[in-house]
Amino acid sequence: MSTSFAPVTESLIRHRGVLGAMVVGLDDGLIVHSTLQIGVNGNAFAALTASLYRKARRSSNAAGFGASSFLELTAEQGRVCTAGGKELVLVVVCETRVNVGLLRVELLRAAEQLP
Amino acid sequence: MANDDIRALSEALAADPASLAFVPLGEALRRRGDLEVALRVALRGVERHPTRADAHDLLARISADRGDLERAIVEWESVLRLVPGHAGARKGLGFICFQLGRLEDAAAHLSAALTIDPEDGSLAAALQTVQSELAQRGTSPARATVQVSRQALAAAIDVQAAERAALLEAGVRSSPPTIGLASQMHAADDASTLFDDLLEGQRSAAMLLDADGLVLAGRYVTADGRDLAALIGAQLSGVSDEAARAMRHLGLGAWTQIVFETDAASVAMAPSQDGVMLVAAARPIPLGFVRRVLEHALRRAAAWMREGG
Repeated sequence: MSTSFAPVTESLIRHRGVLGAMVVGLDDGLIVHSTLQIGVNGNAFAALTASLYRKARRSSNAAGFGASSFLELTAEQGRVCTAGGKELVLVVVCETRVNVGLLRVELLRAAEQLP
Repeated sequence: MANDDIRALSEALAADPASLAFVPLGEALRRRGDLEVALRVALRGVERHPTRADAHDLLARISADRGDLERAIVEWESVLRLVPGHAGARKGLGFICFQLGRLEDAAAHLSAALTIDPEDGSLAAALQTVQSELAQRGTSPARATVQVSRQALAAAIDVQAAERAALLEAGVRSSPPTIGLASQMHAADDASTLFDDLLEGQRSAAMLLDADGLVLAGRYVTADGRDLAALIGAQLSGVSDEAARAMRHLGLGAWTQIVFETDAASVAMAPSQDGVMLVAAARPIPLGFVRRVLEHALRRAAAWMREGG
């Protein structure tokens, strides 16, 4: 099913090393739209990354740093990058070899279109 | 409160993180002098229950005991927005205003508190102290410092605070933070300055936190000289806990780094032995620089730990 978010996720997944791109509800962690390679567990990434992003946002607010706009989690076997609006966040699952700088710029640009 | 009671409250809170057990638990820890742990409990309580006045009141009292007067003021003002007739908040603000030499404000807050709670004899005594000082100031307008004994006012408000103030006035630094002297930076030691040379002046900070989010080394010094490392560490350490939880389900192995950008800062953190290394920098500082500082700081932290730091 195609939604108005399809161009955003399809643009993101074209980056080398990106395995999936999703638009996710910030509060509930549910997928609104996704473009995923086969084998990527979108639901788990959506739920857990939204939760982490919420935590980072609350913590940074409480620490006096203001709201977070971009988050990157690097692990031994991959990365997850997130950027968001107030209601929706973009979640990108990628390999460690991805060009994070380029992805970050595009994520932040795309996130500006989110409510 | 006995240790068993604290343990029971801790267990109740662990079983149900949304419960209100954090209020008596945080208060018990504060009274016992475990201010850093109390702070973490209170911060998480406020995070979960931002509209509860008792949560903000608890955080304010802990902040005051830690000497973080600015935070205490913010929290007690939050209490008053939620419960305009909160005598405890008025009392606390009165005490802080006195500490800061704002005697008129102190008198106003204490008067308001006394109106709300006329039975509280300590308030009347505190107000009398402030009014006496105001009268003296009236006869000696050039006076710049509050010369009334802090101990006298503290005694009227909080017995434990009085004890700390007495130590303070005697020139003794007690191990728990002393009330009202937060803004005076303690002498920097090796641990607190461990990462200073890696940083870009005062616009960035590096901290090594233990598994409980307590600061092992490093500092976060604001432009006005206050060290907010404990507060920042307590707040942001929860992010790494959340990351560790997520990694158990995502099949990506262990997390090695988290970077996030906020309105005011770029923050990078990475696991370090049993704790977390955290670097924060004001937004104009590029994210790549923050990551590099994090890598350098991690190596230095590891060396410092090996040397028994």
